[in-house]
Amino acid sequence: MDARIKYSVLLVGIGLIVAILPYNTAESFRLKSHDLLIKSTSDEIWLSVDQVARFMNNEDSTVQLIDLRSTEQFRECNIPGSINIPYSDLLNPFWEGTINQKQVKKIFYGNSDQTACYAWIIATGLGYENNYIMKGGLNEWFKIVMFTQFSGQKITPLENALFENRFNARKTFTQINSLPDSLKRQFFHSKRLKQSKLDGGCE
Amino acid sequence: MSLLKNLKIIILVIVVLLILIIIRISDQNVFKEQVKTAVEVTWNNSNLITPNKFRELTTPYLVIELGSESNPGSLQFRPSIKIPFEKLLDKESREILDNTKGALILYSDKMATASKAWIILNQLGYKNILILSSEENPEELKYKFQPDTTAGLEQDSI
Repeated sequence: MDARIKYSVLLVGIGLIVAILPYNTAESFRLKSHDLLIKSTSDEIWLSVDQVARFMNNEDSTVQLIDLRSTEQFRECNIPGSINIPYSDLLNPFWEGTINQKQVKKIFYGNSDQTACYAWIIATGLGYENNYIMKGGLNEWFKIVMFTQFSGQKITPLENALFENRFNARKTFTQINSLPDSLKRQFFHSKRLKQSKLDGGCE
Repeated sequence: MSLLKNLKIIILVIVVLLILIIIRISDQNVFKEQVKTAVEVTWNNSNLITPNKFRELTTPYLVIELGSESNPGSLQFRPSIKIPFEKLLDKESREILDNTKGALILYSDKMATASKAWIILNQLGYKNILILSSEENPEELKYKFQPDTTAGLEQDSI
């Protein structure tokens, strides 16, 4: 038989299969449901506010904090170093480059756990890796980092380190959120300059 | 007949392709819904039901109490069933979810668990799922930030 007829039949067959498939241009989860469920039950997806405070104090460049609240809430106060991706805008292709960074830990937070969990499941389901949730959100941040005080007589080195971490985070959070937007960028430069002077380094 | 003989390899290829596609389409473990729909429903909390509205429900429903295998919790609602979150997609659980007439109401003492379960079930194509939430807006900020009015940059950095 002529090869052209064979190829034609093959093409018509594949064409018919393509024609009966549902047309779906929208994004769906790439992970299988069981895999996503197993990942979501892991305790490793959670980071405490103390861990996040340490990342913030160290200006850790391997971490990207993602604030899922509205732009108005973000402007009022946010954890320094975070970027604002309102949850309603999460699927905007503009943010894909931010969410799809394999080497960077993406830490989602909202005011509590609910929105961060939605975002975590969506980002992980879409196949993006290295996603985490700040447990308790900003409510927990305020409760633990901003408002806890040490009230004992003696302090252990471990407690001392914990409270120093919280104190530094609290100070940075309050200072940067009290500054006008135009000065926020200069804040970290000022902080680094001060630190280098204390360390005896050059400007 | 001879035409079919000549085309048997091509027909075989098409049949194999068709079988693979049917397997993929009928796989219950694959997500088929658009992610966009989940975001649209969840961002304005229209997937939540408060205890007051829950008590007023007149349509059929089943409460799914999500605990964990180590801490399954106790049955607090009627009609309800306990499904540990880890076993949400097991065959027995799927049968219960598939055969339920009316709304599926997810309840967990941890909002995070119910939220994760909601997205997974929604993306698997389950309709009429709600989360029983004690608060109308669980994402409310309970604290007010107090700015430091004396805050400024170091003079030598400006």
